[in-house]
Amino acid sequence: MDFSSIIPVALVTLGLLGVIIADLLGKGQKPIVPQAIAVLALLAGALSALGLEQSNDTVLGVLRPDAFTVIFTVFFCVVGAMTIIATTRGEAFRSPGGEFLSMILASVIGMAVLTMSVDLICLYLAFETVSIPSYVLVGMRRADPKANESSLKYVLFGAVSSALMLYGLSFIVGLSGGTSLDAVAAAVQNGAGSQPIFVVACLLVFAGFAYKISAVPFHFWAPDVYAGAPASVGGFLAVASKAAGFAALVRVVAAMTPEGVGDAADPMGQLLPEANALIVIIAVSAIITMTFGNLAALKQREIKRLLAWSSIAHAGYIMLAVTVWSPYALQALIFYLIAYLFMNIAAFFIAGIAIREMGTGELRSFRGLMTSNPGLAVFMAIILFSLTGLPPFFGFIAKYHVFYAVFEKGYIWLGVIGLVNGVISLYYYARVVAYMFLDELEEGEAPPSIRMSLVDKVFCAVTVIPLVPLGLFWAPIWEWAQASIPAVLGL
Amino acid sequence: MLSFLVFLPLIGLLLIWGSPARFARSINVLTCGVALVINLILAFGMKTWDGYSHYVQVDWISAIGVHYEIGVDGLGMVLLLLTTFVSLVSAIASWRIEKYQRGYHMMFLLLLTGMLGVFVALDLFLFYIFWEIMLLPMYFLIGIWGGPNRKYASIKFFLYTLAGSVLLLAGVLITVFQNATDTGLVWSIVELSKTASVSGDLVAGGVGLFCFIGMFIGFAVKVPCFPFHTWLPDAHVEAPTPISMILAGVLLKMGGYGMIRIAWPFFPDAAAVMGTAIAAISVIAIVYGAFVAMGQTDFKKMIAYSSVSHMGFVTLGLVAGTPEAINGAMYMMLAHGTISAMLFMIVGVIYDRAHHRDMDRFGGLAWNMPKYFVLASFAFFASLGLPGMSGFIAEFTTFTGTFASHLVDPVTGDVIYSYRWAAFAALLGVVLTGAYYLIALQKIYLGKTPKVYTDPKTYPDVSLREKLVLVPLAAVTLWMGVMPAVFMDMYKPFTDDLAVTITNAMKAMGG
Repeated sequence: MDFSSIIPVALVTLGLLGVIIADLLGKGQKPIVPQAIAVLALLAGALSALGLEQSNDTVLGVLRPDAFTVIFTVFFCVVGAMTIIATTRGEAFRSPGGEFLSMILASVIGMAVLTMSVDLICLYLAFETVSIPSYVLVGMRRADPKANESSLKYVLFGAVSSALMLYGLSFIVGLSGGTSLDAVAAAVQNGAGSQPIFVVACLLVFAGFAYKISAVPFHFWAPDVYAGAPASVGGFLAVASKAAGFAALVRVVAAMTPEGVGDAADPMGQLLPEANALIVIIAVSAIITMTFGNLAALKQREIKRLLAWSSIAHAGYIMLAVTVWSPYALQALIFYLIAYLFMNIAAFFIAGIAIREMGTGELRSFRGLMTSNPGLAVFMAIILFSLTGLPPFFGFIAKYHVFYAVFEKGYIWLGVIGLVNGVISLYYYARVVAYMFLDELEEGEAPPSIRMSLVDKVFCAVTVIPLVPLGLFWAPIWEWAQASIPAVLGL
Repeated sequence: MLSFLVFLPLIGLLLIWGSPARFARSINVLTCGVALVINLILAFGMKTWDGYSHYVQVDWISAIGVHYEIGVDGLGMVLLLLTTFVSLVSAIASWRIEKYQRGYHMMFLLLLTGMLGVFVALDLFLFYIFWEIMLLPMYFLIGIWGGPNRKYASIKFFLYTLAGSVLLLAGVLITVFQNATDTGLVWSIVELSKTASVSGDLVAGGVGLFCFIGMFIGFAVKVPCFPFHTWLPDAHVEAPTPISMILAGVLLKMGGYGMIRIAWPFFPDAAAVMGTAIAAISVIAIVYGAFVAMGQTDFKKMIAYSSVSHMGFVTLGLVAGTPEAINGAMYMMLAHGTISAMLFMIVGVIYDRAHHRDMDRFGGLAWNMPKYFVLASFAFFASLGLPGMSGFIAEFTTFTGTFASHLVDPVTGDVIYSYRWAAFAALLGVVLTGAYYLIALQKIYLGKTPKVYTDPKTYPDVSLREKLVLVPLAAVTLWMGVMPAVFMDMYKPFTDDLAVTITNAMKAMGG
């Protein structure tokens, strides 16, 4: 048995232990050492994942360290490290201690395991390993009633939806007679997919995923939780947690559409056949999610809530890619998540330092930012236009690939609904830009003053500046995303 | 060299970024001047107007078959010249912008790169990127430097054009993957047009019609065609004078260019199917635009609606499909480019002095500002189509061309297609245009002068800077009116080919 493939996860776990020990030894001091250990462990995890020998053989029959796993492990480690750095700069606490760090690490471990699970029980365990640290992260500011409220909301929604999911999984295990995804695939191939109980099971399982990716109607927690949690944690949930949900969803859908195994000689050329109940459910939810998310975002007056609704809408776009379920669409999905990482980590980071400096995240308080801090205003504008999906920014390319996949499949109306949603989203993104650039301050009113340290500036630059070159030369990332598709589709 | 022209404004932008604010406007004017010179050199360097010169094709994203492919033929070159020319005079007109000078001139140059890029891009993906890049600077230019209601106007402009753009994108995407070859996707406008001219519409059936309508609406928002024009009056009224000049002079032309270069050549059959509907909205635009212009008291709004009215001729000429009609449509774009830029400057001149644009409050300006009066009436007459100026050539050619678009089956005597009705209906628009310009001329410049407008200190005649803007525009307008062949010869190889394609499609549909 070769265990080398779980080295990345093991490194992060070691980091977790290291953080706890360092935290105990260094009580009372600024937790620089545990922070450094945590970031280094995550970076080591990412690097070792890149160097991993990919294989389609499973470890113990439950974990599959294929190319798909690698890409997402790197993704989660990077987001985790960025979240830790962002939290030290954000509005909530200047020096997040051992409990915060260990929760982030635990959550990242859960995500990495979730992505490589090919067994339903392991998948469910990993799912909970992702969720439980997140509850703690959200409620970490114990003195803040808002944080408590949002944490409770998060726990309740999480509990209900994971119970539903577990119930659904039990049906699927019953239908397939085994817990591995291979068994599920075999059962579906033998006609289990046409039984009514299978449709019910799909609905229930989707509930669990919908909660993780904040799809309507399981999105209610998102705005409150993002607004109540520190901005950096909001970013972590919006990016890493959502990506983990999508990764696992892709694994499960892949198992449930086994007839989709394409032509081995031309793995990328063949579209997979028409999909089953789960895909139909996702399609309906995708349309509602993006439309509802965008419409609700129109009315928001606070930056974190705005970003929360925007991230719900983006979940809808990404779900379109799952709906299409072609190799190209899955490639677009991974690509979209990478673009989404840059945009949202940066957006939540800026929201965090803005709230730190101004004491409020009201959109109105951004008025006149162009005069007091033009650099930050330009960065924020780039992020917002990239989120809208305007060229020449990275967000446009991500959307382009998703919509190309949709149109290629022949879902013209689905594509048009998605594109119109992009236009709606311009209104609220541009409203923030209008506050920063177009509004004139009244006589005697001081523009917002946002002082940024060197670390703040570097962090902004590292996350925002790539949005432009990657919007023009995105081939390497596109090819990187491509490499993982045959593995997950079993081609 | 062509790439250098396209990206030259970005060099200017970086220069402005790196230098103090007081140099910004000079760098802008200098950059536009150099661009015009380079453009002229490129134009004289072209041996033929037929086919693409200065052609470059480099792999960009090979995974999806996208190339950096640029080149110009006569059609592209004539519009490039219009762009650099109007930009230069607008840059001069921008001299008095006080607020955030560096930002303004940087945005101006970014806009210029976008516009130049649109006219040279021969790869649909590249075209779309340039097409969209312009939205950002335009949004800021209207939104930051505009009038009192600028926030509303800028977001309205942005939303309208983005809505059009996404439909354009939908049409383009479907067209491209439906025409994929064994080697991958084909994004080249040249190759796709070639395919279409041989085998008809690039995408057949209902989906093809959807693609055409998507592209048409995408371009129609920019033109703007009735009923997609409502952003235009707001944007024009709020935009600062130089930006109105660019908007009317160049930006609107991109819509027409897109139709001539992409929508019609790609989908001649679908265009023939939609012909009557498009002719109808063109006629409505011409007549309705003229009526609304007549009802305005705001000088700038009147000019804005006159743009809607004039641009109706562009779509009308295109659907009519005869060589003269398309020729006239194209000439209308060029003529309107210089005339409307001049008209907006005329408005700007008086707005700078009076700080209002209410035509009812003006009167008798001719007596104290004679030079201004001469230039203004020149622009008015050019726009209403006085012979000897470019507007006349454009309208006349479009009319005769549209009137000629009439085919009767020699055997049965059935009418196969005919756009004569549209020509007659549009004639009404010309009469109305004459009416509103003459009324405006009378209201603003003739009659008794209210006392406020007699003070030569607050109401000086046109300054040297203003003359530098207006006189070149007037000269070109006159040149285009006297020697139209110079310009027509440039784009005729392309439009004549297109006319054959369109007429064949109409014949095929009728027979």
